[in-house]
Formats: sequence, structure tokens, C-alpha cells
Amino acid sequence: MILVAAALAAVAALVALEGTGPASLLRHAYLAPVLVAALKFGAVGGALAAVVAVLLSAPVVLPEIERSGLTTETVEGLVTFAVLGLVGVLSGVLWTRAGRHRRRYEILVMIQRTLADEATLDVSLARLRAALAGRLRVDEIALIAREGERLVVAGGDRVADGSLVARVLDTGESAFVGDAGGRGRSRRAFATPLVSGGQAIGVLAVERKGEISVGERAALEAIGAHLGIALENARLVSRQRRFAAELAERVAAARRELEELDRAKSAFVAIASHELRTPLTALQGFSEILALRRLPPEEVRRLAEVMRREARRLGRIVSDLLDLSRIERGLEPALCRVPLRIEPAIETTVDIFRQGAATHLITTECEPSLPIVAADPDALERVLTNLISNAIKYSPTGSTIRVGARPLDGGVAIEVADAGRGIPAEALSRVFEPYYRVPDAAGAARGTGIGLAVVKALVEAHGGTVRVDSAPAIGTRVTVVLPSSGGS
Amino acid sequence: MWALDQPYAPRADRLFADTPLALLAVLAVGVGTAGVLAELAALPPHAVRVVGVTAGHGALLATALAWVRVSSASGAIAVALLGLAAAAAGLGVLGALAYLGPALWVFRLAAGGQLTGLGLGTPVSLRGVITGALVGSGLASHLLVSASRTLGVQIRVDRVPEVLAAMAYDVGANVLTAECFFRGALFNRAQRRWSFAAAATVATAAYVLRYLVDPLLPKNVELVVGAVFYLALLGAINCWLLWRFESLVPGLVSALIFFAAYRTLGAG
Repeated sequence: MILVAAALAAVAALVALEGTGPASLLRHAYLAPVLVAALKFGAVGGALAAVVAVLLSAPVVLPEIERSGLTTETVEGLVTFAVLGLVGVLSGVLWTRAGRHRRRYEILVMIQRTLADEATLDVSLARLRAALAGRLRVDEIALIAREGERLVVAGGDRVADGSLVARVLDTGESAFVGDAGGRGRSRRAFATPLVSGGQAIGVLAVERKGEISVGERAALEAIGAHLGIALENARLVSRQRRFAAELAERVAAARRELEELDRAKSAFVAIASHELRTPLTALQGFSEILALRRLPPEEVRRLAEVMRREARRLGRIVSDLLDLSRIERGLEPALCRVPLRIEPAIETTVDIFRQGAATHLITTECEPSLPIVAADPDALERVLTNLISNAIKYSPTGSTIRVGARPLDGGVAIEVADAGRGIPAEALSRVFEPYYRVPDAAGAARGTGIGLAVVKALVEAHGGTVRVDSAPAIGTRVTVVLPSSGGS
Repeated sequence: MWALDQPYAPRADRLFADTPLALLAVLAVGVGTAGVLAELAALPPHAVRVVGVTAGHGALLATALAWVRVSSASGAIAVALLGLAAAAAGLGVLGALAYLGPALWVFRLAAGGQLTGLGLGTPVSLRGVITGALVGSGLASHLLVSASRTLGVQIRVDRVPEVLAAMAYDVGANVLTAECFFRGALFNRAQRRWSFAAAATVATAAYVLRYLVDPLLPKNVELVVGAVFYLALLGAINCWLLWRFESLVPGLVSALIFFAAYRTLGAG
């Protein structure tokens, strides 16, 4: 400022010394300090410098007008006044606007950079506020954003009811207060909404002791709109990243599950082949003996009995495989339901096991007056066969297997309990999954891992339920509940 | 932060709220009566001048005091002191010293912290005072150099007592009342409603108008144009000085220096 004043004074002195009147070429030198003032201090500085230059020129121009009237020289002097004023004001205005635009673009870039780092809304707002405070040249600044029902406030503790910020949040429209207190120069306050999708998602509020011009307010509104979009984008990106991470985790889990399933299927193929091959080998061997040798009738009957048992076993495995195939296609097993009494069905199945294997003691405990159920006899037999077969396989030789039935409200509960090794708690929830075998069960007994899956599908197809209760080293109890058909 | 903590309510009071209408009416009646009596030659011209000075400056100062909620008694005292000073000034050159009365009364009120709303009694920086002095000196210098050449007025060196009396009038009436009302009261209120530019324009326009209707202003067109030019410049700059330094003192300093230079030209 001092340099500008000195330059103006120097030019005035030179013009006076030259003494050539209003048309002196030196008068153009006034433009330099006026231009410098405009570029340094904006429109006000430029205008003031121009006024001072005109004041300094006036003692040269005005007396000449009084003496000679409007001559070419005096008109040139007056034109110089106009040019100085125009240069001072226009240069200052354009320079101020250019500076404002430059700051605005810097702010936009800063906003993008600040929000590029993934951070919580509180941290992001605090960073934005700190960066904006330095660039907007205001005394106070606050950034407020909604996060669900919560308001995150950077630059204050809370938003008081009825405050300017609360009003802008409610109305979604900018508000300017020309007198927010302060002696002398009044304090101005301006609050503008952070807009995204037509909604006010927050507020940018600034305060300054002094002017907040219309141009600045327009720039702040634009920054508010940009902040709203940038904040929303940051939220979306953050959400997308979380979603992507979650998705990747789910895909990894699904892949692990598929790999496990694949391994289980491979194991199943091997086991199933073995399971199918064993009765086939027996059938093949005994049928060859019967075909090639002449045997006594008792021996023929014994061999035929073995062949019948192996054929039944083969048939059961094939039935299970067929049911599993239907389950995997999302179909229910095909049933032919008829009114059925439970006690004979249990006794018949248990008798078959008693005849086939005398390694375990199988007891039946059916309460009297059990209600009639609507069930497929063949399906029920396969359910019981699977459960008793499992009990035999996984309980020690000589132990007792209890098969019982008792009436329930609206149905019949069939229980098969053994005193076997039991099932670990962590495996209980998976025992009904196809191909799943309890890890340490594979070495204990043969099995395909589809028996309980088929049992569950068959029971549920009847509208019933099945559950397993087990305690390691004590035993396992499987309870099947079938709804009654209404009779008893 | 005000925008977060304080309740917001749109401004309801008017720009001219708290104006002492009763006192202004009394002063107007006084001026009217004096005018009628002067027409009837029942009142000497000096008495009319006393009434005019008292009413004009008294109205400005009393209104400024009322706008910052100083008691109406204080306003009335200020008017009375102005009247006494105007009367005393008519008795002789030394009588003009009575204009120190209103100035001292305002100083007393300011020292009591009652005029902070006008920018008086608040801390003032040396930088502000120097800036005010530089502005006043700049305008005064220009006036002495340029106006004396273009407007055909001369620097009076032969009537020092009259010049000093005029300066006393500026200190206790002219500058004091104008700065208190047009800057301390009017501009201060206006800048709380509108932008600086709008407030300064209103205050400066009113300031210039006050001098244009002053019967003491010579009715020479060139002098009127010159007065408008300098007063507009002085008014606008004094608005900026109050805005920038938050004190009326720099503006008072600049105006006193400018009017001191003006008095030496003998236009007063």
C-alpha cells in the first residue's frame, strides 16, 4: 500500500515538474500503481488508487478547464480520469473474481483429496473443516452432517434447537444473517445446506466479522452442494467397499463349502461303490456256488437267506440314492401314505435286525393306544432301518438299542436310542447334511453319509420332525415325530 | 459458534427505532417559531442562528444518543449544551470555547461506557488514529491545493480568531454531531442490515444531504459541487474507518483535520 501511495505521489510530482498540462504523456504512468493496487487489493484497492490518482490529477486538469474550457487537452485529461477509474475497478473486479474461482477449484480438489481416504464421518468432517477454515478466510466454520438419526458436528458440540443451522437443516435453504452480534463491525453468519439427491444431508456454516459478499455466498452454496455430493459419494464408496469385502468373504466361504462338498462327494463315490460292491460280491459269490455246486437243502436255504439279506441291503442303498437325488433336485420323496399303526411297523423292522445280527440287544418299548399315522409303509421302514442300522454301527457289541414309541399331542414320537460313542456337539448341527460324516466316525463303521439326510427328507415329507440328542461316550437318541391321521 | 448455539430469529426492529420523536418535535417547533419571529423582525438574526444550530446539531446528537439507548435526559442535556454554546459563540470569539461543553459531555458519556454502540469509549488503535489523520491530511492538502486554485477561495491568515472559533464549532457541534449520527448511529445500524457498500452509500448520501440543506453553505454552484465531492469522499472513507478500526475516533480525527483546513479557506 505504501509503495502504491509512493508511486502515485512520484507520478504526481513528475507531472507537476514537467508542467505540460492535462495532456502530459506522464499522466499514463498513473495506470501502473492503479493496476498494482487492483491486482493486490482487488476492486476496492483499485478504485481507491484510481480516486487518489484522479485527486492528484485534478489540480492540473480542473484549473485548465476553468481557464480554457473543454479543449482537446482538457478532454484528454478527463478521459484519463475515466480510464483510471475503469482500469482500477475492472481490473480489481476481474482479479478478485479470478482469485475467487481459483480458490473455489482448489477447495473442490481439496475436498476430493480429503474424502479419498476412507475414514469415519466424524474424522472426514473434522479434516474437511480444518482444510476449509484455512481457505475460506472466515473466523468460524462448522460442518454438520446427518448420519442416520445422529448429527455429526465438526466445529461445535451440538446444534441447538432454533439455531440458524437447525433452521437450514429443516428448510434445506441457505440463510444469511447480517448481524450475529459484535460491536463495531457486525458479525455475519451464513449457512448453506449440503445437498445430495435434493435432500439436505448437512450444513456448512461460516461466520466472519465483516462482509460476506453475495459472490462469496454463491461460492459457499456451490461448495456446499459439492460437499454434499462428495460426502454422499464417499459414503457410497465406503458402503461399496464394505459390501465388496463382505461379498468376497461370502464367496470364499461358499468356495470352501463347495470344496468340502466336492471332497465329501468324492468320498461318497468311493464309499458308495464299496457299499454297493459288498452285497454284489456276496450275491455273485453265493449265486455261483448255488449254480456250480450241489449242496444240501439246509445249506441252500442258508445261502439263499444271505443272498436275500444282501439283496435287501442293496435295495436300501439304491433307494437312499434315489431319494438323495430327488432331495438334491429340490423334490420331496415320492410317498404313498396310508393309515398305519406304528407298533407293528416297529416290531417288523426290529425283527429283521434281530434275525440278521445278534451282536446287539434290541428292545422295543411301545406305549399302548398309539394313534394311527398317515405314512408310507416303505418310507417308514426305511426310516427305522436307517436309524437302527446307525445305532448298531456306532454302538459297541453287546450293548442295548432301545426302540420305542409314545403318543404326543397330535402325533407319535418314535425314539431309537443307543449307548454308543455319541456325536460331538459341534457335529450335531450337520449330521443331517448329505454326505456329511462325523469326522471320527469314518474309521468306526462303514457308511455313505446319506442315511440321516434321507431320514430327514422322508420324515419332513410326512409333515413330521426329527431331532438328535447325543452325549459323547453316553449315547445317542434320535426322535422322529409323525403327525397322527386322526384315528387311534 | 453463534450459528450453532444461539437461537435465530429474523430481525424485527426498524432502522429508525428508538428515535426521540418528542424531542425532535420540540426542536422543530422551536425552529419554526424562531423563523416566524425572525420574519416578523421580533427576533435578531443571531438568535435565529442559535436556534438553528441548537435544533440541527441537537437533533443529530440526541437521535444518535437515543439510538444507543442513552437516557433522554442525557440527550436533552446535550441539546441544551449545544444551545448554550451557540448562544455563547454569538457573544464573541472566546464564547466559541463553550462548544467544548457538548464535546466534554459526550466524552463523559463515552467514558462511562454508554456510547460503545456509537464506537466511542471502545479501545482505539494508534494505527487507526494515524490512518484517520493521514486521510484527513490527504483530503485537507488536496482541498488547500486544488480547491484554492479551482474554486477561487483563498487561505485566510488574517482572521485567526474567527478560524479558531469555527474550529471550536467543528469540535463541539459540526463534526461531533455528524460523526456521531451519520457514522456511529446510521451507518452502524445500516451495516447490520445491509452490506457495507449499501450502508456506506446510505450514510454518506444522508451526510452530504445534511450539508446541502445547511443554510451556512455558500450557494455558489462550484462550491456546492466541491462540497459534495469532498464530503462524499470524507463520508465514505469515515465509514470505512469505523468499519475497519471499530472506533469513531479515526473518523473524528480525519473530519476535524479536513474541516480545519476548510475553515482556513474561509468558506465557513
